[in-house]
Amino acid sequence: MAAPVIETKAGERVAPVAPAPRKRRGLAVHLAHYKWLYLLLLPGVLYFAVFRYAPMYGVVIAFKDYVPFLGINESPWVGFQHFQDFFANPDFGRLLGNTLILAFLNLGIAFPLTIVLALLLNEVRLSILKRTVQTLVYIPHFLSWTIVASLSFLLFALDIGPMFHFINGLLGTDIDFLSDPAWFRPLIILQEIWKNTGWGTIIFLAALAGVDQDQYEAAIIDGAGRFRRVWHITLPGIRSTIIVMLILAIGQMLNTGFEQIYLMTNALNRGVADVFDTYVYFVGITQGAYSYSTAVGLFKSLVGIVLIFGTNWVAKRFNQSGLF
Amino acid sequence: MITRKTSLAAAVLTAAALALTACGGGSTPAAADLSKVTIMAPYLEAQPPSSDGAVHQKLEELTGKDVEISWVPNASYGDKQNITMASDDIPQLMVFTTKSSAFIKNAEAGAFWDLTDKLEKYPNLTTNTPEVQANSSINGKVYGVFRARAAMRAAVMFRQDWLDKLGLQAPKTTEDLYKVAKAFTEQDPDGNGQQDTYGITIPKWGGLGTNSPYDIIEEWYGAGNRWTEKDGKLVPSFETDEFLEANAFVKKMIDEGLVNPDFATFDGTKWNEPFLNGKGGIIIDVDSRVSQIVNLFKQTNPADFENKVGFVGNLEGPDGELHAHPTDGYGGFIAVSKSQVRTEAELDQILEFLNEMNSDEVAVLLNNGIEGVNFTVEDGAAKAITPETPEGKTINADVKSYAQLGINVRGNNFYLPKQASEYEQQVYDKRLEVTANDLKSAVYNPAAPYVSETYVSKGAQLDNIVSDARIQYLAGQIDEQGLKDAIKLWNTSGGDKVKEEINKLWQENK
Repeated sequence: MAAPVIETKAGERVAPVAPAPRKRRGLAVHLAHYKWLYLLLLPGVLYFAVFRYAPMYGVVIAFKDYVPFLGINESPWVGFQHFQDFFANPDFGRLLGNTLILAFLNLGIAFPLTIVLALLLNEVRLSILKRTVQTLVYIPHFLSWTIVASLSFLLFALDIGPMFHFINGLLGTDIDFLSDPAWFRPLIILQEIWKNTGWGTIIFLAALAGVDQDQYEAAIIDGAGRFRRVWHITLPGIRSTIIVMLILAIGQMLNTGFEQIYLMTNALNRGVADVFDTYVYFVGITQGAYSYSTAVGLFKSLVGIVLIFGTNWVAKRFNQSGLF
Repeated sequence: MITRKTSLAAAVLTAAALALTACGGGSTPAAADLSKVTIMAPYLEAQPPSSDGAVHQKLEELTGKDVEISWVPNASYGDKQNITMASDDIPQLMVFTTKSSAFIKNAEAGAFWDLTDKLEKYPNLTTNTPEVQANSSINGKVYGVFRARAAMRAAVMFRQDWLDKLGLQAPKTTEDLYKVAKAFTEQDPDGNGQQDTYGITIPKWGGLGTNSPYDIIEEWYGAGNRWTEKDGKLVPSFETDEFLEANAFVKKMIDEGLVNPDFATFDGTKWNEPFLNGKGGIIIDVDSRVSQIVNLFKQTNPADFENKVGFVGNLEGPDGELHAHPTDGYGGFIAVSKSQVRTEAELDQILEFLNEMNSDEVAVLLNNGIEGVNFTVEDGAAKAITPETPEGKTINADVKSYAQLGINVRGNNFYLPKQASEYEQQVYDKRLEVTANDLKSAVYNPAAPYVSETYVSKGAQLDNIVSDARIQYLAGQIDEQGLKDAIKLWNTSGGDKVKEEINKLWQENK
């Protein structure tokens, strides 16, 4: 009998699986039955258990007054003291604001640009040109943030940077981009776009390759132009990929990129530059306030979880397949 | 497809792994082996010294111990230190470069030996500057053998050739500084017909009380050194009128273009460049930079490097008095770990070792090297052997790192360097003279020995409020009222408590 194909909501085709074992059957029987699959799973589970879950034990120091010399167990409990301190701190609103603004700018500008670039690349018919461009736009991803920051400093430096002269010449202004707080966010987003847009297209290009070619032919016969085809065939075809990537991006949203921001911060733009990540580093690592900074980090993770579940829920509401 | 049972299995597995790792923390380290001394120290060179090096071998020979030093790059020393203290692998001796919050917390929790009554039993660890030892203490408790460093280092260095060309005198007062900076900016000191120079170069350097040019100028104005006495109470120096006046003075210079416009972002490692290239003519920093710059001029043009650099010490403030800016007189300290050195008897052995480390013989080894191999003694100073032998070269490189272990609490018991040329020797001797002279007018930080609990937990964030506001004020982002508001915010965010605690400690110990 030919294997029937099951169409999921997302439109992906998957092979049917064996019917679920009856609940009555013991765990041992179940394990024995699927032993190879579980063996396959084991390295992954171990990895997460050892490197991701076990260290979470350390999170308890967010509720203690941790002194390294005393160790985690001996340090006294303080309950929610650190969280209270943090929420009462004047820094709190600023950090949350800065983090969210950067996160939404990233999501609102950098994320769609990735899709646009992928669509543009997809429309290039000359294979050699397409490949060359693809390779070129991947390259910045492999440069470290230190290099990106150094390049920005060279380009935008007061009096000597070519971009400093170019933009100020165009606008007839005299802006010091590196210390002007108003220019901090644009610079960060520009860097992000320059560095990661190309790399981000990979997964969309893969999804684009899977769009049914017959539909294009049909559309061409119906007289649809390029934009019509993109709008009515390509985009719906990769919709599920976009949504999964969006949920993942939102989960990562608050990880605003410690290195990048740390490197671009100075006394004049700190007001808009401080985010959770740099604050945790500054307070925790350089000042040794481990407990307090763990509490801050934990709060950040909590917001991240809320965001990811929230988006997933919204995606399902709109009848799209979510992440889980 | 995940059934409830399989997910349960995964959870059990996870929990088991978690429990296993959680148990790992409680093991007790084996009894201390004191034939070997372990030390953690920072290094500032490109490469840390190797334990095969001649200096290391000689050190082990002189102290009679197996010495194991873990060298950590200075740039990440603070981070590494905090991480090390949180691990089980703590060295017996740790160099602390500052009295950091992390150090204070750990010391108060009992991580390090209280050496207050112990040091006097060791002749080489008994200091002849007890006030500096007090500065390094935590409210009078000495938790480490401090590393004595020159107390007076502030200096103003300027392009002597520019000064001569414009027919100006070396500055004596802050007002003179302004005049010189203005002339350097507007009167074309390099004679190329263009106004392409400026007076003072200031790098990105914001923190409060970090001996930055701002801190130094504030002190010259009479704002005090971090803390100052006002109406019988200690207040932070930024709460004085002199602080505002000093910053108004700096702001005036910035507004008139006498300071490099990118002072908030200019990379401090390039500080010498505008000076050498003839762009910025004045630097306010430590006096050792004078010799450094002279040397750089010499490297570029050995035939003509003299009289390019002039310098003076601290400047008189507008009140006509000299308030010289000293450091706290110590560059951190060496603390003894209690978890590695368990008993008084063991502590005794370790202190004996430190005592040996500050003997004249070892001090010379750590700071100068090995006589006859990399230096000879001439007129009571260490003259480098030139050309360097390969062996001498290694030693010369190594001592720069080993000097980090120098204690020198009885004064410098090693040789001062003999300079390479007559001119450089003159500059060096003048530096010693100027700093010794300024030291008489030094205004110290009256709160240096005191540690406020609130400051430990959030002092750095608090100080950031003021130091950022200071830069913003100087850059014109906020006005004087904004700066005052920031100082008010410092108070309401916890600074009030810091003041209270410091004053209490000060009264108790007065």
